[in-house]
Amino acid sequence: MEIKVETKQILKVLHIISWIIFVGLCIEAGSFIYNAISTYFMNPRNASYFQLSNLYEYDSGYFYIEILLMTIVGVLKAILFYIIVKFLQDKKLNFMQPFTVYMKRFIFTLTYLGLGIGLFCVWGAKYREWFMQQEVKMPDVQTLNIGGADVWLFMGITLFIIAQIFKRGIEIQSENELTV
Amino acid sequence: MSIIVNLDVMMARRKMSLNELSEKVDLTLSNLSILKTGKAKAIRFSTLDAICKALDCQPGDLFEFEQLKKRNPGK
Repeated sequence: MEIKVETKQILKVLHIISWIIFVGLCIEAGSFIYNAISTYFMNPRNASYFQLSNLYEYDSGYFYIEILLMTIVGVLKAILFYIIVKFLQDKKLNFMQPFTVYMKRFIFTLTYLGLGIGLFCVWGAKYREWFMQQEVKMPDVQTLNIGGADVWLFMGITLFIIAQIFKRGIEIQSENELTV
Repeated sequence: MSIIVNLDVMMARRKMSLNELSEKVDLTLSNLSILKTGKAKAIRFSTLDAICKALDCQPGDLFEFEQLKKRNPGK
């Protein structure tokens, strides 16, 4: 009984933390979108907010592509945490029968999002490297919010393997349920 | 699946209801229903043993194998 209470408490704390991270990521993604729109429609000097004024001066098109990549990464991260928040909110985590189609879909969604974030981070980072080679001063990947691509890819691959195991677990569980 | 379960036939012969059988074999009604309707994927030997004792029959009386007929397009 005590263990169950502890798990519930941990899940509650994780739920609150997930909400906070989700709101933060939404604000972050929104800031990228706002920066792109304000730089285009209002004041080109707004490009300096993310230290991309050099890139904007070099070529505004490249600036918008870089902002687009940053936005995609931000949005995907926000969606990932939204899914986690929704999962914890729905309380569909059943420890008695964990191998459900819902869980499988949840893990697969996290897998694809993780891989997507990783790939876009790699793309953004490679793009930044290319600008550096063109002697354009660029901020580091952490400032551009496209850092940690290897970590995201690692998470995506690991979750993919876990999802395959879950898929088999669902088959075994349903067979077990239909064994009299 | 080509295994047909004739549990209802045996139950009719022994004039036993599903409730009675479930009490005798200590199996829930839902599990017996899964077996009776042919939705079961597997049966434990202990369950088969209990059913055969309750219905006084052989395992072969409960199951039947039906070969799936292949279509001959030429004929």
